[in-house]
Amino acid sequence: MKVYEESGCFDPHSLTDCQELMGLPGATPTNCHNSLEDTLTVSSYNHHHHEDASAALDMEPQQHYLLDNTTNSHSHLIPYLTQDLPYDQSHWESFNVVPSSSSPEAAAAAAAAASAYTPTPDLLSLFHLPRCSFLPNPSISFETTPGSPSVVYDPLFHLNLPPQPPVFRELLQSLPHGYTVPADDKDAARVGGLYHDGDNGIIQFTRDISMAGRAKDRDKAGKTTKHFATERERRVHLNDKYQALRTMVPSPTKNDRASIVDDAIKYIKELLGTVRELKILVDKKRCGQERSKRLKTEDAGSAADAGDVECKPLGDPDQCYNTSLRSSWLQRKSKDSEVDVRIVDDEVTIKLVQRKKINCLLFVSRLLDELQLDLQHVAGGNIGDYYSFLFNTKIYEGSSVYACAIANKLIDVVDRQYAAAPPTSSTSL
Amino acid sequence: MGRRKLEDDDDNNNSKEFKSKNLQAERRRRQKLSDRLLTLRSLVPIITNMNKATIIDDAITYIQELQKTSQVLSEQLLEMEGSSEESVMPMKLEIDVAQHDMKKCGIKEEVKVSNIDGNKFLIKIIVEKKRGCFTQLIEAMNYLGFELSETNVTTFSGAMLFSSCVHGKYGDTLMVEHIEELLSEMMRSMKTSSQSAIELGNTN
Repeated sequence: MKVYEESGCFDPHSLTDCQELMGLPGATPTNCHNSLEDTLTVSSYNHHHHEDASAALDMEPQQHYLLDNTTNSHSHLIPYLTQDLPYDQSHWESFNVVPSSSSPEAAAAAAAAASAYTPTPDLLSLFHLPRCSFLPNPSISFETTPGSPSVVYDPLFHLNLPPQPPVFRELLQSLPHGYTVPADDKDAARVGGLYHDGDNGIIQFTRDISMAGRAKDRDKAGKTTKHFATERERRVHLNDKYQALRTMVPSPTKNDRASIVDDAIKYIKELLGTVRELKILVDKKRCGQERSKRLKTEDAGSAADAGDVECKPLGDPDQCYNTSLRSSWLQRKSKDSEVDVRIVDDEVTIKLVQRKKINCLLFVSRLLDELQLDLQHVAGGNIGDYYSFLFNTKIYEGSSVYACAIANKLIDVVDRQYAAAPPTSSTSL
Repeated sequence: MGRRKLEDDDDNNNSKEFKSKNLQAERRRRQKLSDRLLTLRSLVPIITNMNKATIIDDAITYIQELQKTSQVLSEQLLEMEGSSEESVMPMKLEIDVAQHDMKKCGIKEEVKVSNIDGNKFLIKIIVEKKRGCFTQLIEAMNYLGFELSETNVTTFSGAMLFSSCVHGKYGDTLMVEHIEELLSEMMRSMKTSSQSAIELGNTN
């Protein structure tokens, strides 16, 4: 999708979209798309006018990144109107890093958007306007509420865009000359603070602002490289990614990085196994269907209807082998129960451990019937506080259940029953 | 992420010890994390850079991809299942086979109940194995107000042996004969209901 337009036309409508988006943290991906385009074109427009911005903001890779991440659970499609902070110092009077109580980055977002809202593309006015605004400023016809900046901040992470400093010129002016304004202690240490020039207009960032906090250019391979304004931003960004990964796995346990990665590894292996199993099943099914079709055509005596057979397996057409043995193994854990499903060819072994509350045997057996599993052996009962069961079953001919489905349904049923049962006092036994 | 702040200690030794203990633990933790990240990296057919952040990103996209694939495949499977005609036949075959086998081995249907202690009973049932008979048995147990503390079910030669140690939930002591009678009654009704189902199936 070509989102990055080089058109120079400024579309005021796009900004209203942007405003709404800014005000609605819960914007869904689908209705963000168009406004995303628009707002990004606006930014690109501004980009072009910042001649001095040294290769500053290349929006395209970010958009790319944005769009690729649409499926993420974060509603991060709120476009972030980054204004290229020109590195030319003459323009920097209106920017600084602010130790506001709300996140400075969020305020910056609002500021940037505010500055972009000006209808005139005039460079200077762009920088003058924010001077007059306190942020968050409801009078700037933003629908942002004071609380929302923190939400607006959220989507940024996947943009890899470091925040733009808001404009608190007054605040700056109130500072004594040469006083540094750190966002917080750590940031100050890293950013190196700001220096108020004698001219009271020029603020310089130190340290890596030259690469300064914005997601940047492509490298040779055409992929973005990230340069964050502060180490803190980088960490927060990374943490969010870990959280996103965590939300994808079915039953996450501990909330620390190593466990998250561990869960992800297990889940990926499980998914690979499921996909493999499904492929085998589909193949078997198809072979079976082909065979029955062939049989039917033979019965009908019309052997000439070779056209009925859709696929001829290699070798002997009468023997549709699928020699691959299906084997899969899954585990699902929930708060009170644990399910372990192993399938080898057509035998399914299910282990169920459940905290003793209700005897779920009835529901489980109903589910097994539903899944067309033929019980061969059941063993189980009380073990201390838990019920533990082992089911050995066979899959009825012609049915194609797969491990994942079994496990998920089982744990679902068990949990539901568990939840439905009223809390009972422990029976004396 | 849990960086401990080192206090400046007057006692140099103390602070050094504290620092080194922490250091090792921290090193181990980092090592553990990087090992796992390496494993994750090896699993994912990533396309982009090999730094910590992108590996996580790529893992996310890969997982999404796999989920989508598995969903597509399962839908395909369901679709194919709907159009297959094989499912009806096996049931009839099973039942005939089961009856045949049981008679051959001389296994008789049976219900036996013994009282262990107070409200506890040991129940042993042999039935002809059918689809859903286990469910019916469990339903019967529930109906009688029994809680199964130890259960064992085995199937062989078309018969199913159900043996379980139960205890009555409802508090009143049931007589052994009473239970046996009830259970036999239920089994008979199970049998007749399933037989009529078979007949229904046969006529179709």
